[in-house]
Amino acid sequence: MKILIVDDFSTMRRIIKNLLRDLGFNNTSEADDGTTALPMLQGGGFDLLVTDWNMPGMQGIDLLKHVRAEESLVDLPVLMVTAEQKREQIVEAAQAGVNGYIVKPFTAQTLKEKLDKMFERIEG
Amino acid sequence: MQDKVILTDENIARVKDLLATLESGDEVGANEVIDELANIRELDIYKEMGKLTRELHDAITAFGMDEQINVLAENEIPDARQRLHHVIDMTDQAAHRTLTAVEESLPICEELESRSNTLHDDWKRFKKRDMDVNEFKALAKRLDVFFDVNTNDAGKLRESLTNVLMAQDFQDLTSQIIKKVIKLVEDVESNLVQIIKITGGTEDKATAKKPEDKLAGPVVPGVNDGVDVIEGQDDVDDLLSSLGF
Repeated sequence: MKILIVDDFSTMRRIIKNLLRDLGFNNTSEADDGTTALPMLQGGGFDLLVTDWNMPGMQGIDLLKHVRAEESLVDLPVLMVTAEQKREQIVEAAQAGVNGYIVKPFTAQTLKEKLDKMFERIEG
Repeated sequence: MQDKVILTDENIARVKDLLATLESGDEVGANEVIDELANIRELDIYKEMGKLTRELHDAITAFGMDEQINVLAENEIPDARQRLHHVIDMTDQAAHRTLTAVEESLPICEELESRSNTLHDDWKRFKKRDMDVNEFKALAKRLDVFFDVNTNDAGKLRESLTNVLMAQDFQDLTSQIIKKVIKLVEDVESNLVQIIKITGGTEDKATAKKPEDKLAGPVVPGVNDGVDVIEGQDDVDDLLSSLGF
């Protein structure tokens, strides 16, 4: 499974990358905002997108909307990992078609649970 | 200055008096009336001078504060910006140093675990006497290697942990910097309050709208009160499940 991690902070990308590796996902790529992530996704081959919300350039919510508007990416599972936790934002992400939403700071256990739940639902 | 109304019955009466005294050749009487008229003017001038003096005093006070504000704007705020960037750099470096140490340690732990498991299996066979002499010799050799590698790896782990330990030194320094910036923010705040007092800021607190960021960012205890924020992952999960997730 190939995963794209999008976050403007390289430390957060490293943390997520290490946690994913610990869960057995070794094939990860990184991008620092939506503008760099979108062409990578359009290039194909990714099975999961893990993205932050607040980033310079293209924000995570806009990346999600672009992904959902693209025929080849419409079904790509998207997990949002963000510090944004206003009710209206979570609702906005849900309406835009996010598959999972994790608020920072988060634990390795939370990441595992959300991924398991997402794949369960997608496969089920 | 709003000119005092001149066209009053009293003044008309005074001018009539003046004309009468002049026509009757009463020089003393005419002088009295002229003095009286001049006094009215002088009183206005005194009042106006008082007002100007007050305004000048206020302006001088405000000017003194302008100096302070200039220092804040020209030096201290750019300094603070630089200091805060330095805080970002330091925390970034600390996080990367820690992550590097962890990334170097995890494979060591994994190898240690797998080496132990293999040896443990062999050891169990040996205890059950399920091992010939040659196999035992090989096991003894592997045990020697195991001890050497473990000692070596323990040294590497200790080094990594020391790096993690040392990477935490940012906290002391960043706290000191942030405290200085907090002090600056307090100074700016008190200056702003003074300016508002001098200019007699009239904007009603209730109608004054706080500029709102579209993105709220991380929740800070005591700051985000009143914003419709979901607290923690459990509440986020509840909200999402109420939306059909």
